[in-house]
Order: sequence, then C-alpha cells, then structure tokens
Amino acid sequence: MYEGFFSGRVITNLFADNAALGIAAVVMTLVILSGGIDLSVGSMLGFTTILIAVLVQQKGMHPLSAIAIALGIGTVFGAFMGFLIHRYDLPPFLVTLGGMFLARGMAFVISKESLGIENAFYNHMADFGIPLGGKAALSATALIYLLLFALGIVVTHFTPFGRNIYALGGSEPSARLMGVPIGSTKIAVYALSGFGAALAGAVSTFYTTSGNPTTGGGFELDVIASVVIGGTLLTGGVGTQLGTLAGVLIFGTIHSALDFDGRLNSYWLRIAIGGLLLIFILFQRFLTRTSALTR
Amino acid sequence: MKKSFITSLRSVGMAALSYALVAGSPLAAMAKPLTVGFAQVGAESAWRTAETESIKAEGTKRKVNLKFSDAQGKQENQIKAVKSFIAQGVDAIIIAPVVETGWEPVLREAKRAKIPVVLVDRGIKVSDDSLYSTLIASDFVSEGKMAAEWLAKKVNEKASIVELQGTPGAAPAIDRKKGFEAGISKYPAMKIIASQSGDFRRSGGKEVMEALLKKYGNEVTAVYAHNDDMALGAIQAIEEAGKKPGTDVVVVSVDGVKGAFEAMVSGKLNCTVECNPLLGPMAFDAVEQAIKGEKLPKKTVVQDKAYDQSTAKDVIASRQY
Amino acid sequence: MNDPLAKIKPWFQGVSLFWPVLGLGLLLIFNAVFSPSFFHLEIRDGHLYGTLVDILNQGSKVMLLAIGMTLVIATGGVDLSVGSLMAIAGAVAAMLVMKISFAMAVAISLGLATVAGTCNGLLIGYAGIQPIIATLILMVAGRGLAMLLTGGQIITFEHPSFVFLGNGHFLGLPFTVTIVAIVLCFTLVATRKTAIGLFLESVGDNEKAARYCGINAALVKVMVYAYSGLCAGIAGLIATSNIKAADSSRVGEFMELDAIFAVVVGGTPLTGGRFSLVGSVIGALLIQTLTITMYNLGVAPAVSPVPKAIVIVAVCLMQSARFRAQILGWFGKRRIAA
Repeated sequence: MYEGFFSGRVITNLFADNAALGIAAVVMTLVILSGGIDLSVGSMLGFTTILIAVLVQQKGMHPLSAIAIALGIGTVFGAFMGFLIHRYDLPPFLVTLGGMFLARGMAFVISKESLGIENAFYNHMADFGIPLGGKAALSATALIYLLLFALGIVVTHFTPFGRNIYALGGSEPSARLMGVPIGSTKIAVYALSGFGAALAGAVSTFYTTSGNPTTGGGFELDVIASVVIGGTLLTGGVGTQLGTLAGVLIFGTIHSALDFDGRLNSYWLRIAIGGLLLIFILFQRFLTRTSALTR
Repeated sequence: MKKSFITSLRSVGMAALSYALVAGSPLAAMAKPLTVGFAQVGAESAWRTAETESIKAEGTKRKVNLKFSDAQGKQENQIKAVKSFIAQGVDAIIIAPVVETGWEPVLREAKRAKIPVVLVDRGIKVSDDSLYSTLIASDFVSEGKMAAEWLAKKVNEKASIVELQGTPGAAPAIDRKKGFEAGISKYPAMKIIASQSGDFRRSGGKEVMEALLKKYGNEVTAVYAHNDDMALGAIQAIEEAGKKPGTDVVVVSVDGVKGAFEAMVSGKLNCTVECNPLLGPMAFDAVEQAIKGEKLPKKTVVQDKAYDQSTAKDVIASRQY
Repeated sequence: MNDPLAKIKPWFQGVSLFWPVLGLGLLLIFNAVFSPSFFHLEIRDGHLYGTLVDILNQGSKVMLLAIGMTLVIATGGVDLSVGSLMAIAGAVAAMLVMKISFAMAVAISLGLATVAGTCNGLLIGYAGIQPIIATLILMVAGRGLAMLLTGGQIITFEHPSFVFLGNGHFLGLPFTVTIVAIVLCFTLVATRKTAIGLFLESVGDNEKAARYCGINAALVKVMVYAYSGLCAGIAGLIATSNIKAADSSRVGEFMELDAIFAVVVGGTPLTGGRFSLVGSVIGALLIQTLTITMYNLGVAPAVSPVPKAIVIVAVCLMQSARFRAQILGWFGKRRIAA
C-alpha cells in the first residue's frame, strides 16, 4: 500500500526508533511476570538523559563513565523500591508511583532545561552502523536492544531466576512454599527494572544526543501496553519475551504506519491509534483463544 | 456544521478536479506537486491548532502534497516522523520542535539526503547551523519583556505580581519567565510574590489563582500568565473572590487567542502579547526558496505586538484563532 | 456487642480507614503550622469561602472518578479511560447546551460516557481483553474523538444552569459537594445494601469461583465499567462547568493516575476483592490537599513532584503493618536501653 514501507531501512528503523521502548519492555516483562508493575520507568528515563547530559557536558566526564553512573543510580533506585515493596509488603503501584514523582522532580533539580551533548564519542555512536546490504544498517541503539533482548530471553526462560519470577507471579504463597527466595527475587526484579529504565535513557541520549528532564512522560504506559499487547498477563505468571518483542513492534508499527501515511489530522490520528490497537488485540485474542480457555 | 461540511466537500471535489486536470495535461511532468513533511508538536491548545491549520491551508493553496505528523508532545515521536519523511524522500521538511535540543542526529540524516529543513515557532540548539535552512519564530524572551514593560507602565512601576507559569521545562515557559523577570528587574517596586505552574491550562490557571488569592488576599495587584488560557482561568478565580479583574487586579498574558480579545473587550483582561501562529505563508515561502537553493536568513523573527483594551475592539473581528 | 459503630461497620468492611484519615489529618496539621491562612474560613456572598472549600470543590472531580474507579478496582480491573471520557462528556455538553435544553444536554453527554464505559466493559467482560489495554484504547481514541468534536478548539458557553453545576453553591457549600455526596450515598447503598457489592468482591477475589456460584462475572464487569464511565462523565461536566469552557485536549489529562492513587491510598487493593468507597474519597481529598499545600508553600513547580513522592511513600509505609512493627521495635529497644 505504501511505497517503500517494507524496505530494509524501515525495518531497521523500527528497531532503532523503538530501542528505548523495547529495552524498557524487556525488563518490564520481568516485573509484570512477577506480579508487579513499575510506573517509574518513564521518569527514570528522563532523569537518566539529563543526568548523563549534565555529567558529560558540564562536568566534562567521559560518556561511558557517565552512563555507568546513571546505570548504577537506576539500579539502586529500582532496588530500593523493590526493598520497600518486599520488606514492608507495600503495593508496587503506589511505591513506583512515588518513584515516578521522585525521579521526575530530581530530573528538574539537575536541570530545568534540556541540554545538548556535544561529544566526539556521541557523534561516533550516532554514525555507527553495521551495514546489512542496501540502504539498511543496524545502528548502535538497535544493536543494544537486540543484545538486551537476547539476554532477556536467556534470563527469563533459561535460568532458575526466570523460573522463580514465574513462580512468584503465579502465586506468591505457593512460591514461598516451594522455597523460592521471594525477597531477593522481588528486589532483583525491580533493580533490573531500574537498570533497564536507565539503559533506555542512555539509549535515548544516543538517539537525540541530548538530555531533557521532561522526556518520558507517559512512556511507562507505552511500555506496559507493549508488554500486555504481547500477551503477558498483568496478574503475573503468564507471558514470554518473544510476545513482548511482538508487542513492541506492533506498537512501533502502528505509529510508523500512521506517520508514513501522513494524511490524518491530530484527532483522527488518535482515533486510528486506538482503532488499530483494538484490531491487533482482538486478533491476538482470537489466536490465543484456545490456550486462554484451558487456563 | 452542515454548511462547513458541504463547503469542505466542495473544496475536496475542486481539488480532485484540478488535480485530474493537471495530471492529464502535459504540464504534469513539469509541475509535479511538491511533497512536504510537517512534524507538529501535537494539538494541545487552540494556538497550536491555529498553527497547524495555517500550514495545512497554505499547503492546499499551493497544491503541495503535505504529509502531516502529530507527535502528541513527544520528541521521540517527532524524530520518528522526520526519519519517516526522509525515508519517503519528501522534498522538504517543516518542523515545529517539541524541545530545543536533540535534533542533531536526525537533521544530519536529512542533510545527507539533501532535504531542506524549515523550523517554525521555536529555535533549536545545534552546533552546526547549516543543518537547517531557516527558522521562522517568535522570540519568547522578548514576549515576556514586552509583557513586563506594558505592565510597568500600567501600574506605575509598582506591583505585587502572581506569575502563572507554563508546563515546567517547556521552552515558552522558561523563556517567557526569563524575559519577564529581566523586564521587571529595572523596577524595584515590581515584585513577583508567587510563581506557580498552571500547566498552560485554563483549569490550572483557575486552581492556582484560587489558592494564591486565599493566601495573599488583597496583596495581589497583578497577574502575569504565560498563556491566555491560564489568564482566562485566573480571571474567573479573581471574580469568584469578589474582585474585579482588569481593575482591582491587572491581568497580562501572552498568545493573543480570540478568547483573550473577548476578555479585553469586556474589560477583564488588560493586555495580551501576541505570539502569531499563522506561519503557513512564511513557512512555505521559505520552503520554496530553500528547494530552489536560494540563500535564506538563518532566523526570521515574527514581529509580536502587545494588544490592550484600547486596541482590542478594532482588531477582534479580524482574529482568526 | 454494644459497639456503637456496629451498625455502620459493614459499610467499611474489610478495610481500615484509620490510616488514610491519619495521613490526611497529618497533612492538615502540617498546613495549620506552616500556612496560617489555610484554615481561614469566612462567609462571602452567603456561602463559605476559604482554602478548605477549594479543596472540596476542586477535589470533587477526582472524588467522583475515584468512586467509579473503586468499583472497577474491586473487580480486579482498572480504568485508564476516565480522563478522556471527561473530555467527551464536557465537549458534548458544551456544544449541545446552547442548542437544546440543559437536561437533555446533560442526559446525552452522560449517556455517551456511560455507553463508552459499557464498551470498555464489553471488551473486558466478554472479549476477555485485559482491562489496562481495553481502557487504554479508549483513553487514546476517546481523546481524539473529543478533539474531533470540538475541532481542537476551546468551546465556551454562557448558560446559568450549566455554570451552576461547577460554580454554584448549595447549603453554603459548593454544589459539587452535593453532587459527590449524592453519588457516594447512592453507590454506598447500591453496593452495601444489595448483593451487588458482594458480586463485585467475589468477581475480584476469584472470578472462576464466582462464576461457579452462578454470578455472571462478565455482566458484573460491564456494569462497573459503565458506572465508571458515568462517574467520569459527571466529573467531566463539573470540570467543564468550572472553567465555563470545554477544553477537550487537556481536561482530565493524567487524572486517571490521581484517581487510582486515591483508591489505593484509601485502602482498596489493586488485586481486587474488597473495597472502601469512603476510603477512596478520603484518598482523593488527600491528593487535592497536597496540591494546594504545594501552591501555598510556594514550592517551585518543577520540584513539586518530590514532596508528592514523599507523601505517597509515607502514607504507604503507615499502612504497612510490618513497618509499624519495626518502628515499635525500635522504640521498644530504646526503652530497654534506658
């Protein structure tokens, strides 16, 4: 229908453009599988971008050390939320909502304005690409996403940690009786989520070569939606990383297709996004009907 | 409603007919319509809608095939849209950037593809300004200054001001605050006693003003709002507190939407500094010149003007947005 | 057995109201200390005037959303579309109110919101789509629909009855308080004096078991989402009336989060199975008080999320039995050391 829509370039763009979403979705899948939720990822992404920008641009730090610091903060931040959730038996929704506000406020404390990053390393990253023939090339951000996705598959589906997450999300009391280390699993899941959000932030700085304290508003909903579109149940215990990949690509494709069309006005665009989501969801329901019935 | 629907149907029909005529004639090969991509921020306000309409209308007038993208306020979406325009090989791209930074990679991509980029309504920060052809924008800082100057004159350089900020981190909010603060710094008796965010919304302006009026009472003598919507909300709060907006409390704002002019005519708003969203004609002039390879000035500042109650009546009929 | 509260206890069954009330109380005490004008009330134009009245009036929208959301959450679901439904109801009412009678305009706009909510319920109850996604669809598309109706413009209107809805006064208090009271009482009676509440809780607790007991779980879900849509519609009319304009692109934005927050703080767990309507209303008041506190203290808007985060986590911790035990443990140790 659209000339040039299915070119290799559009496909690689799909991965590069949705790298931040995809990375956050890989870890969000773990959180949701464990029966939890993390609303702080959008703010954490915004916090990370401005932190990295300030460290590189104003403190003269090497981007890699700045990213390492940001990833460290993200992980500790997530682990602390996980600690609160586990130790005091608090609802993840509220704790991570608190985290969402805290990270957003801290982002503004670091800088109220967006800040561009001018750095040789960043230029290098932006121009980096593994040629795939034709005009298509795999960019650094797409590569990071694909690597993390591969890692996500291994962790989720082929390690004891992954099995513990499924057990925890399936039923916490049963998991406890089975001897699953509830506390360390939960804390690790949220720590990973914080790490993933920070990594998504770092990837976002590659994408834009800038930091912006306001970025990532509503991002958490996009991430959760992608995971759930991919068939993961919000109640925990059911879902796969492959499904999440499909969810991310569906979400990304809807936007790309509508951008490619370019005839819709703002209002019809929103209606079309909703309509396409509905069609995909109904389609997915239809495909998984049998497995759902046996549940 | 019905009438406008029929008119729009008719214009669609005319456009189709004219397209068919052009396509059928030998001229078609020469006058292949330009394809221009327009990456808009979103549709968060009437001001923004007016800007979108202006660019769309001008595109139709010049028989340009306009590809429109609404980023819903997110820069990531906007970058994706620009990339998509590049992939489609459009002739030119118009961007109304969500934020000032973060454009370098995608603009370099556009430059490599030799697609000229025209920026509208706010500037961007890039190390290499050859990445875009031209910028057509209002100067938010000077808007803030103009509001401050007008207010200083009105209140004889003495006021206790409540400032209603826009969304934290948004460029117009930051710059209109800077400009206003710079503007009143000359006058020691003009003080901002409270500054809170009304999020550019009418309801936000009202809610904040209600709370601050309870706290400061009669101390408040002036309100400066970063956009008209918040000012209109604040006016309602002032009225409900039993004061007269426009006389007891002087209200100044920025944007110049129609509602603001109506409020000025009824004496409730004192001044609005126009920030003109009707950038379509200028934007497409720039696009055509850029495609021809003509040299353009890096920045064209749209002249903004302060309107007050004395001029409101004369211009209200001609307001398009 | 001589407990004087025994009669009203079933109304709040299973949920402790103590902690959200304590949280709200502490916040009010904080204000009493730091901003003296906070508790100032006076009679102006025959009605009460002051910050506390503002909290009730401005908080009415989130209170209404929270009432509907409580029932949704009780069935184990969530409704993200409420903000967009507010926009639809507001836009429709603002456009119709100048053309047809006020009652008709209200009926049509609330009817539309209820129908939209019913669509959510059908997708969730009968098509088996997860609530967060089903309502996300309407959240995105509903906003587009509202903007399509108004052409992205802010629709203003002059209509005394409609304006009264969000700005008028009744019994010395904002009329919105009366609306909230009516909706709350109706919902309380409907859920606690009939079997409906039991149905909700059983669907939220264990849907399979509820179905085996002969409860039509799908129908129950359709009903709660329709009701949530209705509540969102009323909130939308109030928001629109309050600023005498329908701002379809911005009204109710992010309010779904406030509503969910109010419900969860009020003691209704997101996992469903039990609920407290009164708790949710108190939770909504807590949020509004927090917002106004921020304005009063002059907290810079950019950093205002930080205190908000602290309050959220503090309220959470207060509700945690384990946290209280730990604090008591510390005090106990100190006493022994002394």
